[in-house]
Amino acid sequence: MVERGSFTSVIGRNGSGKSTLAKNINALLLPTGGTVVVGGYDTRREETIWEIRRMAGMVFQNPDNQLVSAVVEDDVAFGPENLGLPREEIRARVQSSLAAVDMLEQRKMAPHLLSGGQKQRIAIAGVVAMKPDLVILDEPTAMLDPEGRGEVLAIAKQLHREGITILLITHFMEETVDSDRVVIMDEGRIVLDGTPEEVYGRADEIRAYGLRLPFAVEVADELRARGVAVRAGVLREEELLEEVLRLCPSR
Amino acid sequence: MIRDITIGQYYPGYSLVHRLDTRLKIILTFGYMVSIFLAADFLAYLLVFIGLAVVIAKSQVPLRFILRGLRPIFIIIAFTFVLNLFMTQGEVLVTLGPLHITQAGLYNACYMALRIIFLIIGCSLLTFTTKPVKLTDGIEALLKPFVRFGVPAHELAMMMTIALRFIPTLLEETDKIMKAQQARGADFETGSIFRRAKNMVPIFIPLIVGAFRMAADLAMAMEARCYRGGEGRTKMHEFRFGRKDTAAAAVFVVYLLLIVAERAVHAQAWLLATL
Amino acid sequence: MPISVAHLTHVYNKGLAYETSAVKDVSFEIADGEFVCIVGHTGSGKSTLVQHLNGLLKPTSGTVSVGGVDVTAKSTSVIEVRKKIGMVFQYPEHQLFEETVFKDIAFGPSNLGLPEEEQAERVREAMALVSLPFDAFAERSPFELSGGQKRRAAIAGVLAMRPEVLILDEPTAGLDPKSHDDVLALVTGIREKTGCTIVLVSHNMEDVARLADRVFVMSGGEIVKAGTPEEVFLDGAFLEGIGLALPQARAFAEKLSQNGAAIEAGRVLTREALVDAVAGLGARR
Repeated sequence: MVERGSFTSVIGRNGSGKSTLAKNINALLLPTGGTVVVGGYDTRREETIWEIRRMAGMVFQNPDNQLVSAVVEDDVAFGPENLGLPREEIRARVQSSLAAVDMLEQRKMAPHLLSGGQKQRIAIAGVVAMKPDLVILDEPTAMLDPEGRGEVLAIAKQLHREGITILLITHFMEETVDSDRVVIMDEGRIVLDGTPEEVYGRADEIRAYGLRLPFAVEVADELRARGVAVRAGVLREEELLEEVLRLCPSR
Repeated sequence: MIRDITIGQYYPGYSLVHRLDTRLKIILTFGYMVSIFLAADFLAYLLVFIGLAVVIAKSQVPLRFILRGLRPIFIIIAFTFVLNLFMTQGEVLVTLGPLHITQAGLYNACYMALRIIFLIIGCSLLTFTTKPVKLTDGIEALLKPFVRFGVPAHELAMMMTIALRFIPTLLEETDKIMKAQQARGADFETGSIFRRAKNMVPIFIPLIVGAFRMAADLAMAMEARCYRGGEGRTKMHEFRFGRKDTAAAAVFVVYLLLIVAERAVHAQAWLLATL
Repeated sequence: MPISVAHLTHVYNKGLAYETSAVKDVSFEIADGEFVCIVGHTGSGKSTLVQHLNGLLKPTSGTVSVGGVDVTAKSTSVIEVRKKIGMVFQYPEHQLFEETVFKDIAFGPSNLGLPEEEQAERVREAMALVSLPFDAFAERSPFELSGGQKRRAAIAGVLAMRPEVLILDEPTAGLDPKSHDDVLALVTGIREKTGCTIVLVSHNMEDVARLADRVFVMSGGEIVKAGTPEEVFLDGAFLEGIGLALPQARAFAEKLSQNGAAIEAGRVLTREALVDAVAGLGARR
C-alpha cells in the first residue's frame, strides 16, 4: 500500500526484486499470485490497463534506451500523442513539462548529444506530460555521474512537492533520507518497511542485506560504537553536524 | 571515417528550401528523379543543372558539404564512367592497347556519370534541408491514403523514427565494443578477407546482444507511455501548405514542362535524322 | 611499468566546423606500481586520455611512452602494447561474446598466439584473481551470469593478458553497493598479487581518497591538478568550481572546523579518519 502524495523509496541489491515490483504497478508485468490495485483499478483488468499506465508513469534505468525520438520535444510529445490529445494541448504540455525539468533550451536537440542526467530529465518530462498521479523511478540514477544523480533527485523531490506520488527505486542510500517511507527488499521479499528513522535504526540488518547506510547514519553509528553519545535518529549531515557540535567542546 | 559520410545528414538552416512543406519536398524529389530519366541529351542536362544550382543556392547548404557527400560513391561513379568509356561500340577516338575509346563511349560515360551525380545530389538535398524527424512525418502523411490498401504507414514511420534515434547510439556502442576487443588484442585490420570476416564475430555478437537489450528496454518504455499502435494517436506537428509551397510547386512544373518539351524536340530531331 | 606522456593533444573531427579538442597539451609521468586515479566531470577528457595509453587512440600531437617504448611510433607493434596494458571499459560485460566463460577469457591470450595449455593456465589464473571459481563457471555461458559475475568475467578477460598496467574506466558504474565494493577489492587484490600499475577513472571521491597514491584532476581536456589525495582535496572550492565534490568525510570535517570544532580537516579523507578525529575530540560519552 502506497499512500497518495507520499514519497516512498524502495532499496535492495540488484536482483532483489525491486524492479519486478515496480513493473507490476503499471501492469508491464502481471502478478502470478495476489493482486495489484492502482487508483482503484486492478492491473489484471484489460479495459483499464491504459488508464493505469497513464496514472502511473515510469522512468527506467538506462537513459539511452527509453527515449523514442531523435528530437527532445518530439520525445516528450510521444506520451500525450499516444493518449490522443488535441494538438494544442500536446504543445502546451510539452512546453510545461520541459520547463518543469529545466530543459526548454534543449528542446530541439538530439538526445544522444545530451548528458546522462539530461536524458533522464527528458524521460521524466515525457512522463510528466501525461499528467500522472504516481511516478515510479526505477533506478533512474544508477548509470549517472554524481551531478546527473543530483539533478534527477532534485526533480523527483520537486514533483513530490507538486503533489505527485513518488516511488523511487534505488541503491544509493543518500537519496532516500528525505522519503516519507523506506522499504528494503531482499530476495523478492520486503524485509524492512518504515520511516527512514525506523529503518536506518537497524544498521546491522541493513548491512547484512549487502546495503550501505547513508553517510551520516554510518558515521553516527560508528561514533556510538566508539562511545560517543550521538542521539538516535540522525539521518542527514546537518543533523550529525549539530549533534557533534553539541557533544564536542569547541576550541 | 563514418563521420565523413554526409549523405542522409541534416544541414541545419532556415532557408526557403528548409522551410518548404516536407510532403511537397518529397514529391518534388521524386519528380526531379523522373526528370533526370526524361532528360535525353546534354541540353536537357543543362536544364537539370540550372534547376539544381538554383535549389542549392536557395538552400544555403555549402557546396563543399554537398560535394563531400559524393565522396563515398566516387568508386561507383568512376566505375560507371570507365565501363561506359570502354564498352561502347562506335567510331574509335583513341586506342589504348586492347581497349578502344569511342565517341559514343565518351558521350555515354559522361552522360551516365552525370546522371548518378545529379541523382545523388538531388536526393541529398532533401535530407540536407529536412530534419529526419520531419521526413518521417512527411512520409507517414503521404502514405496515409494508402493505409486502406494495407500499407502500414504508421508502423513504417515509427520504425524510421526509432532507427533515427538509435543509429548514433548503436554507432557509439560499436565503437566501444571494437575498442574493448582491440584492447584484448583483437585485430580487425590485417589478414585475408575471410579471416577478417571471422574476426568481426567478437564485435557482432555483443552488438546484437546490445541491440536486443535496447529493443526490449525501448518496447517496455513505449508501452509504459501508453503506446498501442497508430490508432487513436494524434500528432504534435502538423503540415501547412503555404504560399511559398505553391510557388515552389509552380516553378517545378515549369521546369518539368521544359524537360518534357526538350525531350519532344530531341525525339523529333532524331526521328527526322533517321528518316 | 612506468608511463610517460608528453604534450598530448587530441582533437576530434579535425578540420571540420565542429572540431573539438578533447585533450589539450597534457604531460605526466606514472611510476611503476603506482595507483593513479583520474577524476573529472563527464566530458572533461578522462576517457579520451586513457585510450591513448594503449594506442586505441592516436594523439593529434605529443607522445605516449610505456616502459620506455613509444606507443605512438609507427614501428611499435600494437599487439606488444596491448599485451602490456590492459584496459577495462565502462560496462565491460557488454563485450562478452563467447559460448563459455572459458572461451571468452581465453580470447585475449589466443590473440597473443599463445599455445592452448598456456591459454588455459591464464584463464585459471584470471578467474582466480576475480574470484570466479573455475569449476563452477568456466563452462557456463557468460550471458546467463548475474550482473556482478558478468562484470568479473569481463575483467578476467583483460587480466588474462597479464598486463603490467591495468586501466579501468569507471569499473563500478551501475553496480549496487556490495558489488561495487567487491570489484574495488578485486582491483586492490590484483595490485597486491601482481604488482601492476593501476590507472582508475572514477567519479567516486570516497574510493579515490581511499585508494589512490596520486590523483589527476581533469577539466576541459587539461590536467588542472595532480598530487596525493591529501594535496588534491585541499582546495574544495576549486574542485566545486569544475563540477567535482570533496569526499563526504572531508566536506563534513570542514564544516565541523568552520563551526568551531577543533578538528584538522586537512587530515580527514575517509570515514574512518573522520570517526577517529571526532572521537578524539573528547566528546561527551
